[in-house]
Amino acid sequence: MTTPTLTPYRSRLHPARAGFGRLLHAEWTKFRTVRAWPVVLGVAVVAVVLICRLGASGSSTSGGGPQTFGPGGERVVDLFRFAHRPLTGDGSITVRVTGLKSADSRSIEPWAKAGIIVKQNLQEGSAYAAVMATPAHGIRMQWNFTHDTAGSASDVATAPHWLRLTRRGEHLTGYESADGRTWSKIKDVRLPGLPRTVQVGLLAGTPAHNNVHRAFGGTSETYGGGLVTGTYDHLALKGTSTATAWKSTDVGGPVPNGPTPQDAQPGRTNVSPSGTYTLTGRGDIAPAEDGPDMVQMSFQGVFVGILFMVALGTLFVTGEYKRGLIRTTFTATPARLKVLAAKTTVIAAVTFAAGLLATAVGFSLAQSVLRHNGFTPPEFPDLSLLQNPALRAVVGSAALLSLVAVLALGVAAVLRNSAGTIAVVVALVILPQILSFAFPLPAAQWLLRVTPAAAFAIQQGVTRYPQVDHNCLPESGCYPLSPWHGFAVLAAYAVAALLLAAWRLRRRDA
Amino acid sequence: MRWLHAEWTKLRTLPSTWWLLASTVLLTVAVGAAAASSLTSGVCPSPDACHEDTVKLSLTGVWLGQATCLVLGVLSMGSEYGTGTVRTTLSAMPLRWRLLAAKAAALALLTAATGTVAITAALWTARLVLPVRGPTLRATIGSVLVLTLVALLGLALATLLRDTAAGITLGLGLLYVVPLLADLLGSPLWRHRLHRWTPMPAALSIQATRNLNHLPIAPWPGLGVLAAYAAGLLLAGGVAFRLRDA
Repeated sequence: MTTPTLTPYRSRLHPARAGFGRLLHAEWTKFRTVRAWPVVLGVAVVAVVLICRLGASGSSTSGGGPQTFGPGGERVVDLFRFAHRPLTGDGSITVRVTGLKSADSRSIEPWAKAGIIVKQNLQEGSAYAAVMATPAHGIRMQWNFTHDTAGSASDVATAPHWLRLTRRGEHLTGYESADGRTWSKIKDVRLPGLPRTVQVGLLAGTPAHNNVHRAFGGTSETYGGGLVTGTYDHLALKGTSTATAWKSTDVGGPVPNGPTPQDAQPGRTNVSPSGTYTLTGRGDIAPAEDGPDMVQMSFQGVFVGILFMVALGTLFVTGEYKRGLIRTTFTATPARLKVLAAKTTVIAAVTFAAGLLATAVGFSLAQSVLRHNGFTPPEFPDLSLLQNPALRAVVGSAALLSLVAVLALGVAAVLRNSAGTIAVVVALVILPQILSFAFPLPAAQWLLRVTPAAAFAIQQGVTRYPQVDHNCLPESGCYPLSPWHGFAVLAAYAVAALLLAAWRLRRRDA
Repeated sequence: MRWLHAEWTKLRTLPSTWWLLASTVLLTVAVGAAAASSLTSGVCPSPDACHEDTVKLSLTGVWLGQATCLVLGVLSMGSEYGTGTVRTTLSAMPLRWRLLAAKAAALALLTAATGTVAITAALWTARLVLPVRGPTLRATIGSVLVLTLVALLGLALATLLRDTAAGITLGLGLLYVVPLLADLLGSPLWRHRLHRWTPMPAALSIQATRNLNHLPIAPWPGLGVLAAYAAGLLLAGGVAFRLRDA
């Protein structure tokens, strides 16, 4: 007689080879069933939405006087001294720029301009293409405010330089030359809808001087002044013109109520018998960047959301260490890196989903409040949630929240201690912002480049053009890095924390 | 006295306490020195023509040092709840108010001593880099008090919430996020209000040595705001401690 032997139950799954899907499911169950965590996530969403809305309701604008808009609909500055003649049909203008210097007591602005321009008409904001000499940025060809192409690095303060602009239909081509004989092309651009008769001539202008005084708890920024003199000779216009003499106009000016009394003074034009032209003028031809950033103003709540995300990411790991559950987890799944990957995936997905809900709702509410408070088109155009920059800012802010949670998770796996982790991550993400208000400007900007706080650049809605000098002040919400570069800094921190965590998990017992 | 001794022993024998205190000193000095050395000669050509408040700048490290003090305060109560020691403690010392007072006293003495070292060292280090001028006594004493009060605030939060992670998160939020929101807020009225009535910007007005009439709140009342927060929360924590089971 044989006794039947009972084989004990064994799971058919090899513990080390449990599918990643199951692991994800296990971690999701852990997250879902700890009562406090979904509650914290829900509270985070509500807090972000509420503070986004409240933050927006504190901002209002009464509209800053008349605005100028460029051909692309963007806000622009279009003020300069213009010596012009009409040109009908095709033609070209050639000049030698012999000098560009400051005409007030201050040193010259790096983006002061002297050169030649073809402009649709004498109205502010009309289409144009120009070739110009600048003190610090060499020869440039710029058109329709937002476009800028670099030519050679010649400085007209040291040696005169020849410029030429040719019009053929809607096409404008810029050339430059050191001697007036061999010409090199800078760029050929098309200005759609350019009329048959345009204004061509000489331009002189400079951006206003910008004075920033920063001290603890207060910053004052003033714009004003700025006057340059450009000198030109060998001026030649080819083509049909109805006028025989050059006429001078201050496009967009003079400004009667400008920041400095000199703004009300007209520019000057002098023509010497030998054919030397001297133009003195102020003002700039560039996109306007001084307005408030309506996108960024809608994301005040994200700072608060970060705190909750840090707590969640931390507790998702340290909670297991505190109760000893981590040993059970590693017994069930000895592959530590898989556990880390599953935990990271779950926390990233959960916080991203919640963050996206919060930022999308918060942004929409904040926008409607801002509209109500006077931020109205055309100065502040409508921002669609599904279009950049709003889309980038909303999704980017959600990703930011998610990455902060991942960073906290990585640090928690290294430190295995809630107190230390939360303090370290909050200090890394939030503190640089506060210190940047207090530090002198170079140190503040450095801080916002190298710490995870750089990622807040993803919320910026104002396009920064390289052809406009801009003081990047942290207190006015400016981050020195471009949106995606800033975001990459945070991503790099999160990846580094995860790598360190992976290394520590494999090296150290739980 | 014995109660104080017991609490002092608990605090003294934890390695984390000494780590935190050491990092308080280190961070306060390092950030202060970094802030001081970031001053260019353009901003500050000579001590008399300096636009910056050099005393305040060299004490910038308190912004960071207070975080470790907060963690220390939270841990002094939170870790008892985390490990369950609080039940042993309460069996041995059943008078809740006296226990809390002893804890607060031990914590306050230790942070005040460390704070004195940190602030003095920060001022000395900054003096090597730049000429610190001005009446530094109020800023020095005030900064030490700020660190001490922040540690007590942490203790109060942990007593109220009975959890380390929650206490630290809430504490850091109160210290850092609220003033940050204040700085980014568009409305000047609300900015002014938040600067006046939230613990950190108000308390750190004690560090100012110039432009005193431009401060949102005067130095000593500002410190009083932080003290009121700490005392109020400690009182609430004490009531909760008295009424709840551990």
